[in-house]
Amino acid sequence: MALTGRAALLAALGSLPVGLWEPGWMGILAVNTPLAIACACDFVLAAPVRRLRLTRSGDTSVRLGETADVTLTVSNPSRRPLRADLRDAWPPSSWPSGSEVAASRHHLTVPAGERRRITTRLRPTRRGDRQADRVTIRSYGPLRLFTRQGIHIVPWTVRVLPPFTSRKHLPSKLARLRELDGRTSVLQRGEGTEFDSLREYVPGDDTRSIDWRATARQSTVAVRTWRPERDRHILLVLDTGRTSAGRVGDAPRLDASMDSALLLAALASRAGDRVDLLAYDRRVRALVQGRTAGDVLPSLVNAMANLEPELIETDARGLTATALRTAPRRSLIVLLTTLDAAPVEEGLLPVLPRLTQRHTVLVASVADPHIARMATSRGDAESVYDAAAAAQAQSERHRTAEQLRRHGVTVVDATPDELAPTLADTYLSLKTAGRL
Amino acid sequence: MTAAEATLPSTSTSPTPRQVWTRTRGVALALVLLLAAAVAIALLRSDTHRGSLDPRSADPQGSRAVAELLAERGVSTRVVTTLDAARAAAAPDATLLVAVPDLLTDRQQTVLRSTIAESGGRTVLVAAGSSSVEQLAPGVTADPATSLESTLVPNCDFPAAQRAGTADTGGLRYTTIHLDADQCYPSERLATLIRVPDASGDGDTVVLGAPDILVNDRLDEQGNASLALQLLGSRPHLVWYLPSLSDASAADQDDDQTLFELLPSGWLWGTLQLFVAAALAALWRARRLGPLVPEKLPVAIRASETVEGRARLYRKANAHDRAAAALRSTTRTRLAPLVGVPVAQAHAPEALLPALSAHLHGDRQSLHTLLFGPPPSDDAALIALADQLDALEREVRRP
Repeated sequence: MALTGRAALLAALGSLPVGLWEPGWMGILAVNTPLAIACACDFVLAAPVRRLRLTRSGDTSVRLGETADVTLTVSNPSRRPLRADLRDAWPPSSWPSGSEVAASRHHLTVPAGERRRITTRLRPTRRGDRQADRVTIRSYGPLRLFTRQGIHIVPWTVRVLPPFTSRKHLPSKLARLRELDGRTSVLQRGEGTEFDSLREYVPGDDTRSIDWRATARQSTVAVRTWRPERDRHILLVLDTGRTSAGRVGDAPRLDASMDSALLLAALASRAGDRVDLLAYDRRVRALVQGRTAGDVLPSLVNAMANLEPELIETDARGLTATALRTAPRRSLIVLLTTLDAAPVEEGLLPVLPRLTQRHTVLVASVADPHIARMATSRGDAESVYDAAAAAQAQSERHRTAEQLRRHGVTVVDATPDELAPTLADTYLSLKTAGRL
Repeated sequence: MTAAEATLPSTSTSPTPRQVWTRTRGVALALVLLLAAAVAIALLRSDTHRGSLDPRSADPQGSRAVAELLAERGVSTRVVTTLDAARAAAAPDATLLVAVPDLLTDRQQTVLRSTIAESGGRTVLVAAGSSSVEQLAPGVTADPATSLESTLVPNCDFPAAQRAGTADTGGLRYTTIHLDADQCYPSERLATLIRVPDASGDGDTVVLGAPDILVNDRLDEQGNASLALQLLGSRPHLVWYLPSLSDASAADQDDDQTLFELLPSGWLWGTLQLFVAAALAALWRARRLGPLVPEKLPVAIRASETVEGRARLYRKANAHDRAAAALRSTTRTRLAPLVGVPVAQAHAPEALLPALSAHLHGDRQSLHTLLFGPPPSDDAALIALADQLDALEREVRRP
């Protein structure tokens, strides 16, 4: 139960009759007793909150940056009409900061024995599951002097999925994929290519690809064409350790890694390859395995929704072992991790040969555009020291990348905006070269 | 309302009245017990008074012992706390003891003086300060310096003092202009007990320098008990006046009206009602529409933090040499592929410099100083070096 501002206002107005006509205890009583009685009546006549029935329906998942509508149905089984303020509470990151109050509060009137729907519109600002908190209802009496207040818990979860902003690159990458796949065959022969067809020689074709036996059977010169092999395995490994927590721009490194992993998965599943996902720091945080091409993207997005960077050092040995277990056949292992010198030299490099022995390994890392800006800053002593420190950091990164390349690893190091398309291009060129 | 809805499970988590009762009854029971115990203790101990110099108080600083001793000797003790009661009780066959004369206001002292003069009984002033003793016992003045020792010898003709012997009277010291006054228990030649007989009748006024002889704690030491009983027991009745601040006569009604008395009562009661309204408004605002929702926050560490930290360290340590080495090394690494030198040999002057000077047709010595020279000596030189390296790179890149 709670008072309203109207009761306080009436009490304040009551000071006039008390002061002018009846100064004394009698006057105080004469003003406050009717007020108290009216409040008591209001309390009794307000619709009971405890007997309301609440159910939810609506969206269960939403991409980050979009809105989700969750509907709350309030049935009033009592014989008194419900006039109420309702707060549908969700965690603070369910709305952009500043708009929580307006978005979560509703005014509601439900006649006796009827029901009404109200819709809460969420616009989450972070990835992950949002669980509905309490629903608080304040039911006013007919005089609006006194209220009944109660709490209902109506569980509901809205999963906020990664935004997949690099979707915009998908059409152009798919066009490039079609160029090398199926319809347009390539002429180079490589390890990961299979024989596609014979066609007539046109000037400019590599003479080494002329099929002499076929040429002998027909009157024109025939060349063999090859196409990239399908049904290759790709294992995306997300490093969720401490190095993925650092913020580049406004989002953690992990978010940029996820975005590029999603683009790569979308592209690879269209190219007919099988995509698995492993998120690991000191234990498996997420594992998606053996999904069909149509199913892989939703399951990846779902698995990534609740991934958060952990503030612990990644166990590279465990990561390698788990990746080897997860990818029993020859695969392309895309390791989305860092190129910082210490974690790579101490963690990854010693165990890398175990991976490269059987698999093609691609290491992708998110570079910080702020460091690039620092490296070009000039003018005063502070800027030059910044530039020196940034240059030092960049050269260390290059050295680490060089060490990895010496192990036969392909390294992609790009800023968050660039990483997804660059990684997709690298995948396509690996596929073209038949190195998958 | 369908049957299906009626059977929906209740989602309410507000406690029912029965649950509220179940949860709070323990606390309520404890509160009731506490209250009952408090009332019982208050009732049982309501007769004990805990004031110093109070004849009803058994505290170390109380005076119940002397009152009991007097009662055994047939002297009745009556405690009064207001001036009016003290005036009414004053009589020739009564001793009036004023426990803390300094608490009385000027007006009260004037009234009390006239009562003392009229009564014709004995008046005992305990530890009267300089202002009150001059009002209540004219002709007696208090010395600003108090006596150092507490226990003193009588050294006078006052029979009561002679019989009592040494006593703890040391405290305030008095002088008097009355020639017939008894000046007893001197400390450094000033008396701590003075008895001034009234000009007419057999009444007198006794000024006592310290209350020690009356308190329970000290009554059994020296001749304290003897002196107290003789001073207070000379008349069949004892009026023990404990001045209190709640005494209505302490307020001066005539000229000193307070703000509240000047205001019309309507304002006061109206304001009281406004306070009620303010309390209601506070209750209205205090009730939230549900509690705050907690949430785990993600860590916010910038990825570039270590690099920025290193830059600050360079600056703090004035590491011109390291900064210059880093800048030069980066420039060399970038220039080498442009002039056709493998990156692995970028840091060897004999490989890089010929290629570079051939490309630029420039002076090999100045290039050597720029790319491999000694570290700059101060910040200005470092800034200049960075600019020169930039210029060199632009020149090489220019088609």
